[in-house]
Order: sequence, then structure tokens, then C-alpha cells
Amino acid sequence: MAISGRFVLLALAGLVPVMLFPGWGTVLLVCLALIAFLLLDLAMAASLRKVTLDRTLPANVTLTGSTESVLTVGNTGSRPLRVLVRDAWQPSAGAQNPRQQVDVPAGERRRMKVLLKPARRGDLAAPHVTLRAFGPLRLAARQRTLPCPGSVRVLPPFHSRRHLPSKLRKLRELDGKAAVQIRGAGTEFDSLRDYVRGDDVRSIDWRATARRSAVVVRTWRPERDRRVVIMLDTSRTAAARIDDEPRLDTGIEAALLLAVLAERGGDRVDFFAFDRRTRGRAGSASKGNLLGQLVQAMAPLEPELIELDWSQIPGQVRQISAHRSLVVLLTPLDGGAPEEGLLPMAAQLAQQHVVVVASVRDPMLGTMRKERTTAAQVFRAAAAERALLEREAVAIQLRQMGVEVVDAEPHQLPPALADAYIRLKAAGRL
Amino acid sequence: MTPVLETDRPASAAPGAGSGRRTLMAWIRHHRTWTLLILVFSLGVGLTILAQQSPRSDGLALSARNPAPDGARAAAQILSSRGVDVRQTDNFEATMSALDSASQASQAGSGSGPTLLLYDRNGYLDAVQLQALQRTADRMVVITPRLNTLSALDGGIRPAGVVPAGMPTLDPGCELDDPAAAGAVTADSAYLYKANHVCYEPVEGLGGLYASSDDGRLAVLGSTQIISNRLLDEHGNAALTLRTLGASDTLVWYLPGLADVTTADKPKTLDELAPPWVAFLGPWLALVALLAMAWRGRRLGPLVFEPLPVVVKAVETAEGRARLYHDAHAVDRAADNLRAGALVRLARVLRLGPDAGSAAVVDAVARHLGRTPEDTAGILEARPRTETALVHWAQELESLEEEVTAR
Repeated sequence: MAISGRFVLLALAGLVPVMLFPGWGTVLLVCLALIAFLLLDLAMAASLRKVTLDRTLPANVTLTGSTESVLTVGNTGSRPLRVLVRDAWQPSAGAQNPRQQVDVPAGERRRMKVLLKPARRGDLAAPHVTLRAFGPLRLAARQRTLPCPGSVRVLPPFHSRRHLPSKLRKLRELDGKAAVQIRGAGTEFDSLRDYVRGDDVRSIDWRATARRSAVVVRTWRPERDRRVVIMLDTSRTAAARIDDEPRLDTGIEAALLLAVLAERGGDRVDFFAFDRRTRGRAGSASKGNLLGQLVQAMAPLEPELIELDWSQIPGQVRQISAHRSLVVLLTPLDGGAPEEGLLPMAAQLAQQHVVVVASVRDPMLGTMRKERTTAAQVFRAAAAERALLEREAVAIQLRQMGVEVVDAEPHQLPPALADAYIRLKAAGRL
Repeated sequence: MTPVLETDRPASAAPGAGSGRRTLMAWIRHHRTWTLLILVFSLGVGLTILAQQSPRSDGLALSARNPAPDGARAAAQILSSRGVDVRQTDNFEATMSALDSASQASQAGSGSGPTLLLYDRNGYLDAVQLQALQRTADRMVVITPRLNTLSALDGGIRPAGVVPAGMPTLDPGCELDDPAAAGAVTADSAYLYKANHVCYEPVEGLGGLYASSDDGRLAVLGSTQIISNRLLDEHGNAALTLRTLGASDTLVWYLPGLADVTTADKPKTLDELAPPWVAFLGPWLALVALLAMAWRGRRLGPLVFEPLPVVVKAVETAEGRARLYHDAHAVDRAADNLRAGALVRLARVLRLGPDAGSAAVVDAVARHLGRTPEDTAGILEARPRTETALVHWAQELESLEEEVTAR
């Protein structure tokens, strides 16, 4: 049960008889009257036993978007139901109107729409619904909490989508260029088009030209159906916040852009998130839209406070692709001891695959390095310098092994990784 | 409170003899926090009650419950262990009733009447009260009384100054039983009294530390030291104390306090002046406040948990390292780091390749800026020793780097 502000005011009004006729008898009488009012109103309030609840939820929503959760309140009793309903979403679901007054006539059902503006990626839950029915005097209310679990998956926002058109244009340019630059093994026939000045005369298709009045050339396109394997590190280092964004989220953005680009480029994309076991997996091989599968797999990822098990990575990659592939490792360069984990594993992978290590660089280190006014700041600059040097050393070692290193600040990482992919594709290294 | 509360519980709690216990256990499991709070609260209340009931010690001088040096718990406990019923009181009514009950008991049995120990340091009691006490008590021992007290009591004893300095002990030198048996007692800062029967006179005719009325029903002891815990075991102090106080079966130990001050015409209190309804105003407003709390405090359903992800600021590791450098005054280490970073960047700017040594960079920078190699080496290879030098050098290094990049 619950009481209302009116009941408190009524109790305050009870002060008048108590003060006019001071005595314990009056106090007792007024108290009894208050309790009688309370019980009367409670008895006349609608029963909450004959209520059915049903929740309809949209499957997904992106982080920046909004959605509606629909709660259907059914009244199976014989009296009209007038209740205050609270749809208990967790705070980050951003429910805009979780408390609503709902009137349900006897034997009918009414819908209640709650607008959600989620503030966090992942699965957001609403475990229960609370109903509160006031009596006709609105002095007291019956209250009941019913379990009515529901959850909505909030997908990563894919902000790096805005880089997609420019990168796709680059990829299309590659189609024409590749034929001019590399002729021979590794290129595939694509289509015929009219000759323009500058085209290689060796690519003129004489048969096709003979059928038409104009000169026709063959165009070539880069290799297709190569495999791209993206590994996202969800270990403890992914929890580090750089520039108001955890490393994990930057990695998700970069992986999404690369995956969409590679799919448009005609390659097969596989994604897996890993720390000590696989946390999520998606790929072109399975049915359905790749982007949809990727965001579904990425939405519930959270950084786990454990160390990444590097020794399992080659096995995981082999399981996905037995052939030569582009293996992209989204992992920090400075996490823990790279000499023990990242370096030997990257060397091992680089023997069979083309390996790219994509890492987020902290712009704070750059600013720390340049502030040199006080002794404390100079020591900070020295420490930042040291961190940058260590990263640099690991990057150089990786490059010596033939591993591509993409080291960029959070907002630059997705386009930089896409550029690296386009570069490798143009060079025919996939 | 109402049947509505029942709806919050599972409806499957079937009635039955065996299920009551199970329901209780389930309730306890479900409301673990409440159960724990109730347990802690009841334990606290129990301990408080226990502590209230056990005899407390107090800080009053010569109190039978005071174990401090100026208390008298030692004497009181010895008397109790010897069969004397010691009752400490702190107000006149309680003293009178204790004396009454003790004298009734002694009349019924064969024992002697009660002894009253009175130590009225501040002279709280008035003449009427003192005389009533003297009438009721069988025997009265007064410790260091004032003139007012003595003149109210009927015994012919008068105060006679203090014991002269330089006399740590006094010998009885009289024919009274108790002092004679006790022997010498401590006489430090003691008062003297004149009466027909005096003992422990420092000088003949000056008055004594122990005085007794003619009938022996009133004794005056001029020293608190003799009874106190500190000096009870010295000289004949214990003997005198125990003999004086332990003569009867019951000893009422009366230390008058502020409660005994008789106030003839008390001013009216605020309660008496206020109209009768004021008494109900506060409690009723408190009730309304409680209701308001219940109104505002009742949540619309339980809270929903938000699983918060772990997020750590990435730059923390570098900052921690900086603090370590600073605390350890690692000027050399910091300088080496700054130098290495500058050399790597300069080598890159000047396109010297990754294998360029420090000397090659120094030469290249000198050539690039049109300076002598010694000049640039002076900056790039300097080894600052103090923090001030380090700050200065770090800024020089920074400006050199900027100069190279700008050219």
C-alpha cells in the first residue's frame, strides 16, 4: 500500500480538533477516524489481482536513436481499473515517460507507450512493472509489483559510417587502376567499356571492337573473394578510456567500417571478439545481412577484466579461415607485455597471413609531452615520452616482421584502417 | 497493515502446520538485510539494558562506588564483605526511607540500628533535614562537617581550624575505644573539632581530628583521606574507618547532591505556563511528519540495477609513472626519456632513417640550423642534475625541436 499527500494533509487537519479539545481521548478519536478513512479508501480501490501485462518490444535500436516500448495492461476483473503504471527500465535505457496513468474498463485492454532514448550500448532490461491504484478519495493506494521482463538490444552507433562513401569511391577507382597497373596473375576480367585516352592498348578487346563501331577495352578488377578476419580484443586493456570513448568502442567503429568496406569490395569478412574465449562472432558465410549480424554480435560486448590469451588466437583464425587471409588485430600496442603476447603471435600469423595491427593512440600523451613549464609537468612529459617510445619500439618490431601497423587517434582509427585495407588491396597483397 | 501487502508475496504459501516454519525461513531469506538489522538492533538494546542494570561507578569523592583514589569503594567493599549492609543514597528521601527500613528491621530482629555516614561537602542540607536524619539514625558519622551542619546537629561539637602543617600523622591520645584501638592515622589537610570527647589532638586543647558527642551517637571525622581508597591501607586509617563505620548491621552511605537543595518557591516552568493543547502539538506534528515520510518515501516499485561497465582512463599509467619519477627525483631517467624522444623525432624530421645514432642527429641538426655541432651537442647531450636544470633544459630541447621542424 501507499498513502498520498492528501492523507498527510488530512492528518494535518486533524490538528484542529486536537487543539480545540486537548486530551488523549480526542487524539485517539482523530487517529481512529484517520485509520477508518484510510481503510475505507483502500477497500474501495481497484483490485490489482486481476491484471494482465504484456510487453511488445522492438528488436533493436541504435545508440543515437529512440524507440517505443509498448506495455499492454489488461483488466480481467469486473470493475474499472484506474492505475498509475511504472515501467521499470534501467536508468541508461532513458525511458522518457515511464510513469503513466492508465484507465482500463472492465474486461478490456489498454496500451501504454514508453519512449526510450538509450544512453548506452548493450542489452538494456526492464525486469518488472509496478501498479498503483488509488481509492476514490485518493487518500491511499494499493500497490503491486509484477515481474514482466523485457529487454531491448542497443546497437553500436556506427559513427564511422560517414567515411564509407569516400572509401568506397577509392575502392571503385581501384577497379580501373588495377587493370592499368598490374596485368596478369591475380586480376580478374570484369567488364567491357569504351576506350578512353590513356587506357593501355594491350587491354583493347578486338573481338568486341569488331562487333561495334567504337573501340572497346576490357576492364579488370582486383581479386575478389579474399578473406578478411577481424579480431577485436575485449580483454582488460579494452576498458581503457581514450578521449571519452573506451578502446572497445573505437575498435567496434573501426571493425564495422572495415567490414562493410571489405564486403563491398567483394571479400568475405569474418569477425570475432576474444579475450579468453570467444565473446561474439559474425561473418559473411552465414545467411543474412553482414552489417546486421555484426552489430548484433557487437552490441553486448563489454570489456572483461582478464588478460588476453594470445596463444589461442592462431587457432581461432585457423578455425575461421584455412587459407591466406587478411587478419586484422584490433588490440593496443602497449597493453601488458607485448614481447610475450602480441609479438610472437603476430610473427607466427604473419608467416601464413597478411596481418594488420590496429591500435588507438592516446592524444593525451601528445599534449602531456609538450607541457614543460613546471617540474611536475616535465616529469609527466618524460613519462609520456617513455610511453610513446615503447609503442614506437613495438610498432617497429612488428613492421620488421612484415606486419602492417595502424596507430591512430580514436577518431582517425576507422578511416586509417580502411585506408590500410585499400592500400593492401591495391598492392594485390591480399 | 492491510491485506494489500499480501499481494506482494507469492500466493503459493499454502496454509498448514509445517509450512509456517518454512514460510518464516523463506521470509528471512528474502529479507536478509531486514533480519540482520533487527538482530543488530535487538542486540544493541539488550546490551544497553544490561549495562544500565549493572552497578555503575561514579566519580564522586568518597563515593562507595568510586574506585578512583579519592573514592571510597575499598572501605565500602570491606564492610560489605564483613556482613555490613552498605546502601549508598544521594537524596534526602531515599536516605530517610533507607534509615526507616533499617531501623524497623533492627527493631524486629535483635541487631543494632543503622549507622549513617554523611559527607555533605557543599552544605546542601538544612537544619530541619539534618535533625530529621539525626533522629532516625541510630548512629551518625559526619565527615569534615561545616559550621552550619554542626550547629544544626545536637552534639556539642564545634569546628576548630585545621591541623598545623608538618604533622603527617597524629596519635590518638584519648580514652575512646575506636581511636585507641586504631592507633596513629594520616592527618594531612585535616580539620579539627572541639567537643567533650576528642582524639588525635595535635596540641593539647587545640581540638582533635576525631570528635564524639557525649552519648556516642554522633561522631565527627575531620579527614576525608582516612576513608579514601588511596590512603586506607596506611597507618591506622583502615582500623579507624572500619571500627567507626562497621559498628552496626546497616550503613547508609549518604552523599547529598543538588537534588537536596530545598527550593521553597520554584518559578513556574514553561510547561505549566503553556496552554494545555501545546502538549499535543509536538507529538501530532511528529505523527504528520512520519506520515509525510511514508508518503514521499514509498517508492513506486523496487529500484532497477544498472550494470556499470569498467572504464579506466588510459593515460593513468603514464601519469603514475610521472609521479614515480617525481617522488624518486629521477632526473637522469626523465632526461634520458626526453632526449630519446627528441632524437627519434628529429631523426624522422631530418629523414635520417631508423638506425641513425645520436652523433649523426647532432651533426644533421647543426647543419640544418647552420650552427656548430658543439652548440647542438650542448643541448642534445646535456645532462641536467637538478630539477630546475631539468625544467630549463626540457624547454630548450622543445624549442630546438620546434626550430628544426619550422625550418
